[in-house]
Amino acid sequence: MAAALTQERVQPRETSTTKKPKSLLRSIVRNRVLLLMCLPAILFFVVFSYAPMPGAWIAFTNFNYRDGIFGSPFVGLRNFEFLIQSGQLWLLTKNTVLYNLAFIVLGNFLQIAIAIMLNEVRSKYFKKISQAVMFLPYFISVVLIGVIAFNLLNYDTGYVNALITQTGGDPIKIYSIAGAWPIIIILFQLWQSTGYGSIVYFAAIMGIDNSLFEAAAIDGASAWQRIRYVILPSLKPTFIILLLFSLGGIMNGNFGLFWNLVGNNAALFQTTDIIETSVYRMIISQNNFTSSTAVGLYQSLFGFALVMLANWIVRKINEDYALF
Amino acid sequence: MSHVVAAKPPRKAEPPRTVKPPRKVRLDRSDYVLRGISYLTVATFATFCALPFILIISASFSSESAIMRDGFGLLPREFTFAAYEYIFRAPRQIIGSYVVTIVMTVAGTAIGLFVIAMTGYALQRKDFPFRNSISFFIYFTTLFSAGLAPTFIWVSRYLELRGSYLAVFLQLLMTPWLIILMKNFVRSVPYEIVESGKIDGAGDFRIFLRLVLPMMKPALATIGLFLALGYWNEWYLSSLYLGSTVEFKPLQYHLYNIINTANALRNSVAGSNVSITELPSNTLKMASAVVATGPIVLAYPFVQRYFVSGITVGAVKG
Amino acid sequence: MRKPLARVAAATLALGMSAATLAACGPAGDEAESGEPTEITMLVLGDKPTNGRLEAMLEELNPILTEQANATLDFFYVEWADWQTQYNTQLLSGDDNVDLITTATDWLFAWENAEKGAFLPLSEEMLQEYAPRTWEQVDAEGHWELTKLDDGQIYFIPEDNFTQWTNHGFFYRGDWATEAGFEDGTITKFEDFTTYFKWVKENKPKAYPWDVSLSIDAALTGYLQGHTDFQTIQGISAGNYFPFQTTEADPYTVTSWYMEGDELVEAAELAKEWNDIGVWREDALNYDGQTREQFFAGLSGADQHHAQTFIGTIVDNMNKKQPGSDPKFFYWGLENGNYFRDILTHGAMAVNATSANPEKALEVYDVLRNDEEAYKLLNFGIEGTDYVMTDDGKLGYPEGYDSSTDALGSNFWAGRMDEFEPDRVTDAPNKQEIYDQLDAGAKDYPYSTLIVNKDLIDPTLAAMGGVLSEYIPQLQYGKFEDPAAAVAEMRQKLMDAGYEDARESIQTDLDAWAETQG
Repeated sequence: MAAALTQERVQPRETSTTKKPKSLLRSIVRNRVLLLMCLPAILFFVVFSYAPMPGAWIAFTNFNYRDGIFGSPFVGLRNFEFLIQSGQLWLLTKNTVLYNLAFIVLGNFLQIAIAIMLNEVRSKYFKKISQAVMFLPYFISVVLIGVIAFNLLNYDTGYVNALITQTGGDPIKIYSIAGAWPIIIILFQLWQSTGYGSIVYFAAIMGIDNSLFEAAAIDGASAWQRIRYVILPSLKPTFIILLLFSLGGIMNGNFGLFWNLVGNNAALFQTTDIIETSVYRMIISQNNFTSSTAVGLYQSLFGFALVMLANWIVRKINEDYALF
Repeated sequence: MSHVVAAKPPRKAEPPRTVKPPRKVRLDRSDYVLRGISYLTVATFATFCALPFILIISASFSSESAIMRDGFGLLPREFTFAAYEYIFRAPRQIIGSYVVTIVMTVAGTAIGLFVIAMTGYALQRKDFPFRNSISFFIYFTTLFSAGLAPTFIWVSRYLELRGSYLAVFLQLLMTPWLIILMKNFVRSVPYEIVESGKIDGAGDFRIFLRLVLPMMKPALATIGLFLALGYWNEWYLSSLYLGSTVEFKPLQYHLYNIINTANALRNSVAGSNVSITELPSNTLKMASAVVATGPIVLAYPFVQRYFVSGITVGAVKG
Repeated sequence: MRKPLARVAAATLALGMSAATLAACGPAGDEAESGEPTEITMLVLGDKPTNGRLEAMLEELNPILTEQANATLDFFYVEWADWQTQYNTQLLSGDDNVDLITTATDWLFAWENAEKGAFLPLSEEMLQEYAPRTWEQVDAEGHWELTKLDDGQIYFIPEDNFTQWTNHGFFYRGDWATEAGFEDGTITKFEDFTTYFKWVKENKPKAYPWDVSLSIDAALTGYLQGHTDFQTIQGISAGNYFPFQTTEADPYTVTSWYMEGDELVEAAELAKEWNDIGVWREDALNYDGQTREQFFAGLSGADQHHAQTFIGTIVDNMNKKQPGSDPKFFYWGLENGNYFRDILTHGAMAVNATSANPEKALEVYDVLRNDEEAYKLLNFGIEGTDYVMTDDGKLGYPEGYDSSTDALGSNFWAGRMDEFEPDRVTDAPNKQEIYDQLDAGAKDYPYSTLIVNKDLIDPTLAAMGGVLSEYIPQLQYGKFEDPAAAVAEMRQKLMDAGYEDARESIQTDLDAWAETQG
């Protein structure tokens, strides 16, 4: 997207569609086939993305189904008051942002490292098989990840505790220790996404101009210097674009992963509750649509502002990297 | 997903270079050290990735009493097929779930892929004056969304789709990211092809169908795989929009229920006349997980080639 | 780029809004008096039976319904897996395929759903015309008052003519309790269960002292009820909790057992002690098992539910599956007599607000509830295959009948009638004794006719529900290192959520109600 929009902005506009209604109509007729080709997708987004948007009004009402979204009593900011006052909104924001930062920093680091090392591997079969195995976690559902986690970590039969008791230790009550979960969740996230994410960097390394490596060799560069002065700088644009995109989504979490790892275990909420799990739980176990909508709206608006801010900053620094 | 999306496509229609000419370079000590570290790390990480799968498969072939006594292990404890026998003794539920999921995955991937390709193509056509507005119309939905609750109310109360497989099927058809990704892929198809088609008098749709589509196999494979994964691994929309309204739940939601509620576990083997306390519930859960996950993992090696090359095409070029 | 976008957005907005208003108009009820019978779908809770018995029963029931009401019956099941969620989302979705909805004020969110508009308000005329027998019986006892919201409208039909005791408590094993040192194997104080649990832990290595799952608050409620004179005001729920009480000593002042007194801390400390002993699974918060089956299998030392379950299910099953186990029932409030007669809306039937045939639905309900033949088919099934009548007039089961696989599963819990209910061979032999004992000590629920206006405090209740759903499960399972600090923290958050405003608002309603009571 970044690239796509950037490029289009740089390119001269061929036609303006908005100047005169007449030319607009003519333009529609002339492009009817291409427009028709876009129609299914447009309809899709109208029906499933735009049409529910007015429903965000629920955040300001005491919603009931009889009166509907716009007939329900208006309560102003009541639904937000407690979320803010209790610090819940802050906790959710903090958790969401910190998890995302950890995912971004550690994720990119690992992905780059794996990509560089994969590039060093010479054996074709080793490369192929290890790649296949590393992608595997990306293919399974988060439901299965929840199963895996429970198998590893539960108190009575978990693999980790089985190992501990076999070596004479006391089993650990992992599902009651809130402090352990950021690490566990981050590990699972890395486990699931690193193999897949490294392909992008790997592809970028493959695309580095060979003459650079040759020049480095002629200069007598060591392997470390080759990484430091050739590979890493070449990965910088990729990294920045990925980073920007991750920053844009910093208010979103990996909902399925969190939900299937933690579920309704209130003992862990302090360190594991992110905006999306909270929004889901409010509906699913508290039948509370108004607070849920309020948190969702906050997420959307705050996320929107963050993207705009990130984009504005990037544009100041280097216009080419801006999203739009 | 966003990884690929960020891709800056090759501006010219140059085929992706996946094989580099060998470097005629003298290797010094640091190269060997790095290579050693690389083999070791990659092997370790790959093992780390595979380990949980082994754990689950082993558990599914273990006896329940051994699991209760010694916990899960890397090798089956007291090897037995008991759990699988339970599942296939009354296979109605699992077969029903398979059928639902396979039909949704195949139909959804085919339809979604076609619509996405069509849209991506139109939006990439430089002579299409509405491409910026439509692109933004689609992109905007990633910046701002109605949120879960309003969407739920809209889909269930106004579209009246709750309780229908359509609620799940339709919502998974496409995402903005996939359309944008497709748009980037289309860019690698030389514009001259479109022009040659025009000269031959072909219409826009015909050009797309006959000339452009056949050139996009890696892209179709990649995006198709994303779609298929989305359908196959879907449990979330099912939990909201299907619940217990349908007899056969999509596979992963069925698994989700089996894992999380003992009732569902027993129902899944209903007809086998057993009390829940006699069921090997731990190993049964694992066997269900294996059965629900197996096909997509088995299918992976066959699509891996396309998938990797597809991502490479879409990936960033320095 | 900006202009077309704005136009598109505006158009979408208009589209969404007009669709919303259109849908808000709702379907007009059309009558199909003559012609094909109308199919009425009834929502019940439970797992859809797959043994074919329900269908066989319906084949006999539907001709009766066709004849009397020109309608047929079908079932819609909300499965036990995740039932609270699925029940609420089903109602919220406004699914117009369902006509009759099983509900309850104490466990199925009847008030909340009525307020949110899930149920059709039932006018007196409508009830009199389409469910005359039901109307008359409920009206004669003045029970319609129990089903009205503050708009004065009736929202559901109570199961008010059916004797059941739904006060909760522990089921435990008399044989184990005897061995643990209790006289007659009878435990008479809530905290004495510590001794019992400890004994089970030490002497029955395969069993959990109390295998329990998910977010219930039994351990806290049990303690609070037996150590205070708090009486919970029904109908004001915050999420899954009922946070408002009065005390017997001061029945006109609204308070909360989550906010006042030291008992909550004591209860939480006891729960922590139990957790440390290992009374339940360490991972109880991530566990959902069929704990009752574990109790039947001798793998759990206790189970928790209400008197009716004990009499109808527990005794019979335990005597068969664990001979000599001498099952016993310890109900909350046993120590101090702080428990109530059953509320009459533990089961109730509502008509779906989006039902296309609400009148027909009422007609069908009236037959199901009042026609003896239809009632027996619906509740017991076909005589000879689903049940038999013994010589002494009890309802029994045919040879080889296994209730876990052969059950009818019609789960009609919203209009059972005492006059059609025979004693069952599976009833606890000492059923009457238990009833008498309960009856001797029970109090009448004083606030049946109290109506609270929640419009103003709904956001507060929602916020309180959020707080409680975070703290109560952890307190219940003894997961806080320092329960006292956790309770203090929770109380502060409830205050922040607006507890005091909500309390005052309810107090105003209670004061007004008290005046009408004279």
